[in-house]
Amino acid sequence: MKDLPQIVFVVDDDDAVRDSLRLLLKSAGIPCEVFASAQEFLSGYDAAQPGCLVLDVRMPGMSGLEMQHELNLRGATIPVIFITGHGDIPMAVEAMQHGAFDFLQKPFRDQELLDRVQRALVRDTENRARLRHTDRIRERLATLSPREREVLDLVTQGKANKMVAGDLGVSQRTVEIHRAHVMQKMEAGSLAELVRMMMAVAPRQ
Amino acid sequence: MVGSDYNADGATKDGGAQSTRTIIVAGQSSQRTREVLRTLRDFTNVIWPTSLEATLEETGSADAACLVIADDLREEPVDEFLQEARGLHRNLPIFVITDPDDVAEAVSAMRLGATAVIEIPPSYAALREEVARAVQ
Repeated sequence: MKDLPQIVFVVDDDDAVRDSLRLLLKSAGIPCEVFASAQEFLSGYDAAQPGCLVLDVRMPGMSGLEMQHELNLRGATIPVIFITGHGDIPMAVEAMQHGAFDFLQKPFRDQELLDRVQRALVRDTENRARLRHTDRIRERLATLSPREREVLDLVTQGKANKMVAGDLGVSQRTVEIHRAHVMQKMEAGSLAELVRMMMAVAPRQ
Repeated sequence: MVGSDYNADGATKDGGAQSTRTIIVAGQSSQRTREVLRTLRDFTNVIWPTSLEATLEETGSADAACLVIADDLREEPVDEFLQEARGLHRNLPIFVITDPDDVAEAVSAMRLGATAVIEIPPSYAALREEVARAVQ
């Protein structure tokens, strides 16, 4: 499936800022869409659309930080670059703690914003590739039988077949058969690869 | 306590907490580092190692509760030290103290793995709260 082209979304209630950012991004050949409010952006937001977000912190109605919270609730991974004319450290720290990609204070140089946007677009590409990878692993995990899943969990904890057999109360030969099925269904070439797959889908601490 | 030349043992008062885990303070000998140490005087096991090597050794220890980067370091830029410390201990709370209003520095520290950035002055209370949470 071919990826959609990346778009930079600009959300700012200031007409002049929206216009200047649109012109700047256009001059750099970067597709861009602008919105005057968080609500306007969220009403049409499609998480499948690759890109990044340039978001004003202070806006009437829903603020930029509130919109970031809403995107987090929706499980969105789009990188967010905050821009603000009145930034302070607690605000920047809060934005970064909630996953902001960057936080820029106005006035900023055009090139400074373009650099951050380019980096955010690279990050978005990486995020989406990682998500596709973990989705594929989860799909394979879903094909395992409950017993195969038990065997997988034990072998990726580093237990030898003999120990797994003891833990599950089955013969070592049975474990070997389940283990072969696990490797086949997970499309893993080695135990190390299997462990890496499980680490990729493990919940982050 | 390897390489420690400061230990702020004291009675627990408001915001303080008794813990066997170590609160590590990093920073050159300066007024700001001393202010941070004073702010944390009610916590037990606060250490201020005398060398970067000792600081990193304590940071990588299982006993570490948190790391407070109070000020510039003599031997290494703060950004590099922060990355190194984060590399040693993925989940350790790391607090970076910064001058008020230096948003760019705060953002940079957060990107490099700080748990929070606290401006001093005025947020002494915020530092005590963060450290109290970390030692629990």
